[in-house]
Amino acid sequence: MSMHTSLRRAAATLPNSTTTILPTGRLPASQSNATTFVCSQCRHATLLRRPKRPYTFTQLITLSDGSAFTHRTTSPAPVYRSTRDTRNSLLWNPSSSKLMNVEEDEAGRLAAFRARFGRSFDANTPVAETSSSSKDPATKKAEEEAAKAQAQAEQEEEDNLLDLISSFGQNEPQPTGKMAEKKKK
Amino acid sequence: MAAREQSRYLARALPRAFMPSARPQPFLGRRNASDEAPARRLSDELETASSLTTVVSEDAAKSFDPAAQAKSRKSKLPRSRYQFRSPKYDRGPLHPHQPPPPSDPSSRLFVPGPFTLPRAEQTYNSTVASDILTLCYVHTPPGFKPPPKAPRLREWDDSSPYHKNRPLRGPRGGDVLRLLRKPIRFNNIPKIERITIHSYVKNAAHENSSWLHVAGMAIQAISNTRVETFKSKSSVATWSIAPGRDTVAVKAELQGETMYHFLGKLIDVVLPRIKDWPGIKGSSGDSSGNITFGLVPENVAMFPEIEVNYDMYPPKMIPGCHITLHTTAKADKDARLLLSAMGIPFYGKIVH
Repeated sequence: MSMHTSLRRAAATLPNSTTTILPTGRLPASQSNATTFVCSQCRHATLLRRPKRPYTFTQLITLSDGSAFTHRTTSPAPVYRSTRDTRNSLLWNPSSSKLMNVEEDEAGRLAAFRARFGRSFDANTPVAETSSSSKDPATKKAEEEAAKAQAQAEQEEEDNLLDLISSFGQNEPQPTGKMAEKKKK
Repeated sequence: MAAREQSRYLARALPRAFMPSARPQPFLGRRNASDEAPARRLSDELETASSLTTVVSEDAAKSFDPAAQAKSRKSKLPRSRYQFRSPKYDRGPLHPHQPPPPSDPSSRLFVPGPFTLPRAEQTYNSTVASDILTLCYVHTPPGFKPPPKAPRLREWDDSSPYHKNRPLRGPRGGDVLRLLRKPIRFNNIPKIERITIHSYVKNAAHENSSWLHVAGMAIQAISNTRVETFKSKSSVATWSIAPGRDTVAVKAELQGETMYHFLGKLIDVVLPRIKDWPGIKGSSGDSSGNITFGLVPENVAMFPEIEVNYDMYPPKMIPGCHITLHTTAKADKDARLLLSAMGIPFYGKIVH
């Protein structure tokens, strides 16, 4: 409160403005530039209001990659675990292939399906590269195992399908290959 | 001793001022009321006896022991005897009882703090500031002098006699005099000055005031600051809003520690959770370093403070808000550089 001269600013154009008494620091900008003011010193005592502050707690924010920091907040929960934040959102990690919305096609099944049944426009879509070279060995090993398991499962499924086909055309087992060729065309 | 002697000289020297001067006054026909006043002497105005000459009795000096007196006191002094209390009212600069400055802890306006060093502020101090300084460095070889610029305010060509004494003309292509952008050096690295959260609640006018209460509580919860309310300045007939009548808006101003806490929370937790949010539009900004963006009610509900007791708020009444990031940058380009370094993404055509 170095400046104690609070001024009463009465706008000459507004009829009811003689009663508007404003402290010096808080004049709205639009009023001050809209009209001409007659300034006179304000003689009444102004109440010094105590500033009101909401109660705040310290909260620990744990981001999705495990990093944590504290901040002051009105929320009473001591810990906040975020599931989606700057560490795993694509906008903040534009180069991350993990967050990119690409289809997982490690065994090439989707590509094979497209090659067999796909239309011309998506038959030639390039298969998304799996950047396994950039990953650490643990995830690499896990991926290899997953791929192996998938391949096994695929083999079994193919056998089943072959059984089905063979049981369907019992009298002549030859046309299965022809049908497949037809479908390809 | 010396002091006493000086005072004696002073006492001898002073009365001269009050004695009538020996120089004969020129005769004047005018008569003043003061001419007939009795001659004044120093003893009428001042006490001639010096306080240093008074003798204090020995026993009085010995009995004066305030420490022992305080120790022997059985009960504590009342608070009013030892604690200063600021006056409740500011009665103007000429009043003898002045309130202390707001930085004084005894002031009624005192706000304690800062108590923490927020993460966003640490990031700014340790990383962002030096990065911006490096990015904005422009090398000039020694001896280089920048070409002189035209004056910002143009003079009138004296083609007409009416041009005499006219004020200078504004810049070409509009009357707006932009802020002067100085080269960024170590002492004017742009930083975030304050954040304004503003919410215009149109339903507060034609329905009831509960919209405004909910909006105020929500904004206070997310910002850790008490909000201010504002009346409408413009008339909106379709929402039945009249200027000066309806309280329609809520605003919170964050500065310092609170601001950095809010910014860190906004960047790290809230903005990434917004579905399909492309970032702040590249053309936003008021061309003097302040960038504004908006959050819809669904996004405001994602703040952890609102999420933690979401049931407290009537779900339809949670407000959207406009957030203005005021920076000390003089151009939007610098402000965007600062904010993107702090972690706020921008999209679209970046307007400088």
